[in-house]
Amino acid sequence: MLQAETLQLLCLTASSGVPLFSRGSSKQLPFSVIGSLNGVHMFGAGHGAQLSSCETDRGSRVVWGVFQDSLMLIAVSGSGGSSISQLQLRRLLENVWNCMVLVLGQDELSSIRNVERLKRELRSCYRLIDMLLERVNDEEGFMGDLTQCTDCLLPSHSGLLLQEAVDSFAQATESEFGCLLLNGRVARATEKWWSRLTPQEVVVLSVLVRSLADASSCDYPVFLPKGSPTVAIRLLSFQLLPGVHVCVLCGPKPSLHNASELISRFWSTLVENLRTCLEQAKRSSLPPSVSLRWDVQALLLINCDSRRALTVCPRVRVGAPAEDTPPLISTARRLELLRLFYVFAVTRYFTSQESTASDFAQGFTHVPVQCYLVTDECKCFGLQSPQHQLFLLMDPSVPTFALRTVATQTLSAITSATGF
Amino acid sequence: MFSTCSDGRPFQSFSTNLEDFDSIRSVLLYSDLEPEWLDDVQKNGQLFYLELSDGEEEALLAQVSANHSAATNHVRFSEKEAEIITDNAKRQANSSNKSEAKLKKLTKILRRKRRPSQRKAEGKDSSQRPASILKNQAGQRPGVVVQQQRLKDVCVYLNPKRLSSVSSSSADRGGLLEALLGVVHRPGGNTGKRGGKLIIHGLIPHSPASKCAEILIGDALVAVDDVEVTSENIERVLSCIPGPMQVRLTLETVCPAGVSPESKVSASPQVSQLVRLLWGEDTIELQMSIADVPHIAMFLSLRLDSETQQDEQEIVYQYPQSEASAQLKAVRGIFLTLCDMLENVTGGQIISSSLWLQQQLVHVGYWKEESNLLVIAVPASRVPLLYLQTVIEGVVRTLKVMYGSLDRGFSDVENAPRLDHFFCLFFQQLIQPSRLIHSSRTPDLYGSLFLDGLPAVRWLTLPPDIKVEVDTVLSDFESSDFGDMSEDFYGMRRLYVILGSCLFYKGYLIANHLPKEDLLDVCLYCQHYCLLPLASEQRVAQLVVWREVFPQRRETRNSTAHPGYCQPHARHFLLIVGLRHFMQCVLLEAGGCASSAVGRPTPDSVYVDQVKATLLQLESLDAGIEERLSAPPTPCLSCADWFLPAGGRSQQDTIGSSPILNRLTAAIKPPSPGGIGRSLFGEAGTVGIRGRRASPQRSQSDSGSEGHADGTPASVARRDSLGSGGSDGSLGSAGFLKMPRLKHPNPFYLGSLRKSLSERETEEMQNVLQVTAGVENTLFHYVLMESVQGIFIAPTHTEIRHLSGSIHPQLIHNFQHCCLSIRQAFQQSLPTRDRRGPERQSTAGLGPVKEHGVLFQCKPQNWTDQKKPAPTMTYWVIGRMLLEPVPQEFYVCFHDSVAEVPVEMAFRLSFGLAV
Repeated sequence: MLQAETLQLLCLTASSGVPLFSRGSSKQLPFSVIGSLNGVHMFGAGHGAQLSSCETDRGSRVVWGVFQDSLMLIAVSGSGGSSISQLQLRRLLENVWNCMVLVLGQDELSSIRNVERLKRELRSCYRLIDMLLERVNDEEGFMGDLTQCTDCLLPSHSGLLLQEAVDSFAQATESEFGCLLLNGRVARATEKWWSRLTPQEVVVLSVLVRSLADASSCDYPVFLPKGSPTVAIRLLSFQLLPGVHVCVLCGPKPSLHNASELISRFWSTLVENLRTCLEQAKRSSLPPSVSLRWDVQALLLINCDSRRALTVCPRVRVGAPAEDTPPLISTARRLELLRLFYVFAVTRYFTSQESTASDFAQGFTHVPVQCYLVTDECKCFGLQSPQHQLFLLMDPSVPTFALRTVATQTLSAITSATGF
Repeated sequence: MFSTCSDGRPFQSFSTNLEDFDSIRSVLLYSDLEPEWLDDVQKNGQLFYLELSDGEEEALLAQVSANHSAATNHVRFSEKEAEIITDNAKRQANSSNKSEAKLKKLTKILRRKRRPSQRKAEGKDSSQRPASILKNQAGQRPGVVVQQQRLKDVCVYLNPKRLSSVSSSSADRGGLLEALLGVVHRPGGNTGKRGGKLIIHGLIPHSPASKCAEILIGDALVAVDDVEVTSENIERVLSCIPGPMQVRLTLETVCPAGVSPESKVSASPQVSQLVRLLWGEDTIELQMSIADVPHIAMFLSLRLDSETQQDEQEIVYQYPQSEASAQLKAVRGIFLTLCDMLENVTGGQIISSSLWLQQQLVHVGYWKEESNLLVIAVPASRVPLLYLQTVIEGVVRTLKVMYGSLDRGFSDVENAPRLDHFFCLFFQQLIQPSRLIHSSRTPDLYGSLFLDGLPAVRWLTLPPDIKVEVDTVLSDFESSDFGDMSEDFYGMRRLYVILGSCLFYKGYLIANHLPKEDLLDVCLYCQHYCLLPLASEQRVAQLVVWREVFPQRRETRNSTAHPGYCQPHARHFLLIVGLRHFMQCVLLEAGGCASSAVGRPTPDSVYVDQVKATLLQLESLDAGIEERLSAPPTPCLSCADWFLPAGGRSQQDTIGSSPILNRLTAAIKPPSPGGIGRSLFGEAGTVGIRGRRASPQRSQSDSGSEGHADGTPASVARRDSLGSGGSDGSLGSAGFLKMPRLKHPNPFYLGSLRKSLSERETEEMQNVLQVTAGVENTLFHYVLMESVQGIFIAPTHTEIRHLSGSIHPQLIHNFQHCCLSIRQAFQQSLPTRDRRGPERQSTAGLGPVKEHGVLFQCKPQNWTDQKKPAPTMTYWVIGRMLLEPVPQEFYVCFHDSVAEVPVEMAFRLSFGLAV
């Protein structure tokens, strides 16, 4: 039996049902179960019924996904305290597929010639897939895999300096796509990085860069799942400081050696700046110029146009009026709540990106623009404007009628100070 | 529940009622009339007898007559049967006067009830009428009209029960053909050469055949309900008609080319689909209309016999047999495998799965019981996944109430047709509710999903004096002191103990003497068979339902709850009797202290008659309840449209459609910056002039607007007559436009609520106070559920109808759709009583949700003014769950302009509705 709070990911060939790999924290599912999970889907497909998902009374879920008619991915979540939503599993399958394309290219995956070879090749994706699996219950505040947005960071001062450095460095490497990552979050990127790469690509790219974090520099061939799924391009990534990476997507030139020479030219002067940014980023992903109310427990802000997301989860209370204010809930729980609330609001009310608008949200005759939820632990407020989506977790002590004001104030405080 | 009548005042009126009661009782006792329903009792003792009231039947028939206005004069001139025509024409001459007067009355009723779509159909039909006139005058234009033989179907409502009233002599002469159908057929003569054909030689006035206006003299009757008839077998066929029902006659007629028979068929009105469904007729057609929608209900056995390799042996029961369901049936292997595998892998029971079928997402709900699996599949567009569970639980509970357990219900082959009927109703209600319920209340899928899903019954608060009287009458009945009719009188052990009863009026629960769980069981049954909407229309002459039920509270013997007490081993029976708008559900117990029931007892006519007597006695309260229903809503409600400045289009659209709307648009028109008062006055004035033709109440609205424009505080009565609700509204909106929004209005009118309805007189005197509050009213809709008593209160249908507008219905739809989500959030977070097995540890996810709100934004549709952006109106839909002091759930919808503190307050004060 599958343990509680576990997640299993199965990959099989869609046509023949040969298991390719199985990843997950717990013991691998018995072969017979894998076979029947695949079997029911194939049986249905043969009868014109495409099985999509199922759910049990204890919150376990199974989600099926067939990609390019060649690979079948199945995610099985165990029952337990925090059940993983269907949306999360669906996104996980998409991200895993995108990772596999990123590493191996679409051709390799869509036309399987040799199953054994493919199995071996897929091993190179395990690290990325495992990271994605971990991120479902991530405690560092990465939400990109769920929101399909780039996890961002707003560096405080010298923002312009860093932007210039990223732009000119990308130019020097004859690339249009360059970005600076601090602790795995994008701090600055070239304009094309935002406009030309799809959010899904950015999400898997940042996962990839993070998985290469130990290397001081690397040259990695990648296929962009949407942009160039069949032609590999090069990802050059350099570690400027521990936790600070700069990477560019480029063609055959320049060589890694040449590029690493450029590094010192563009970035050596900015080391001190980067260091302070890193220090500050450890405290919060917001610049100190933005002051949040003390009773904000966590927030997720999404810029719908550029598909950027900002997660804030303060570690300590700042400026609480009285000493006897209850301590914050644990960071992990707050992030979990934030994730749950995001899923709750997006699946029911807010129209998020492209295809996720559920049947339920389409049933409304008028447009839902805000929603709130009062639970024992906290109060949540969601707000949607044409440009932004804000999901806010507040102390239970905040009066319900004030939630709306707090939310709109928070939104305007962040956007006006940082231009997010 | 039963309030003591301390003041004694009700008793006076009551005592007179008691005398009436006695007389009714004795009449019922000593008349040895056989009850009409006796023939309908089935082998297993169950009874479902539904008879439409005479007025209703005739109204339906008059609808035909209205379409073809000269109903009785429809005679086709033909040379062969000239003598019959003269004979017939004479008869008609003296009857037409009478029938026309009757018709006028009926059509008037109909006009009120008819929905726009029907009106359209009628219009189309009348445009074709010249063609039918042409047909009658075919002789004048020979050569133009080509005559051809063709078959047509005509639906006629027949009631064999009325035969007794027809003089026996006529029945002897013409047999049933004449007596029942009203068709005169003279054997002999020229029939010989047509070979036993049933040529219609004449029609008897006021008979079903003549009223339907489509049976013409000279036509030949070919078949009755697809049974071929000749002059030999017609009597036998007609004698097989068991009770009042609609039959389809197939006639061979000469029809001019160019008139398509289809248009005639579609124009022929039918007894409402719901009634026909309840009668068990015509399920095929309804089924066909949803055949392409994938849906299925299957009861599968998980215990597979590997030795007997029979095909489809695991299907215990399946409905329907359509093609779309065949596809779902073909993949039943998926359901079985998933059910089995997920239990092994995750340790949980599967509850739902989703699959794509023909580009349509279909949700499948599961219910496993012992070694059987109930699978119900519905398209996602009808039931959102997050509410599927509630729907399934409702079905399962209803089935358990009806059959004791799923296994017992499904495995008995005898039950199959009844289950077909059950699931037919179930799917029809889910997939095309609008076809079932033709009424002025708009059938809204999400509305019915939400309200039916609540573990509660819609309650109507009554003035205390009426309430006391109703309760007294019910208690009196429940004491089963039937005098010399009771078994006690004869020294017998009584057959049944009356456990309690509940009373519905027009689908609202007005009195309940049943424990909550029993009430819910009874109500589930009524809901499922659409008895509540049925009773809300003037449809029911008599409804008698009798069946054994298995109340869930009594079935699950829980000895730990009350140590030392255990439920008696008894059988329970549900008796539902409906008369006009009243419907009483009685739960009877056999066994225990009554004599135990043996076999399959049929309804006991003494009990039925007693309930009937109770209902007849209650009829005197009809007026009082009606008055309550038509009273202005408490708490006051606003119409969403009042908060939106109307666009340019609305003026043209609404003219003539509704006087209320007319008034509204006039008052809402955005004041021009020049002179607010002037323009408001002017607008209202013009409308007033236009409107005076239609409604005298218009003048009232004028004066109201005028008063406002002059700057004097509005002092028109908020609660004046029923019809002027609109003018109140226009006042409100006019005030709204002029006044700054920041006044803190109290949306819930707690004050007005506190004043109970009995104090209406005093309330009317306080009208002046009401007005100020009314101007600021921002409450659109509400639902309050009392979980303990299992009832909920929502604005009545009459109240909603008064708030007509273009946006308001959308808003209510939206409200109810949103409530599905809110309630699901509440349910999800509750520590779930696991339906099978040990309780689930720790609540997952977001934790217990106490309050949940969504802000909606709406814009008027087709906004024509390009220069200005469309105005928006924002409103909240908020749900709140209270566990203390009594478990309650609220759902409210109000305008965004309310300062939010009173919302909190209002929640805490829980409306002050004393139930």
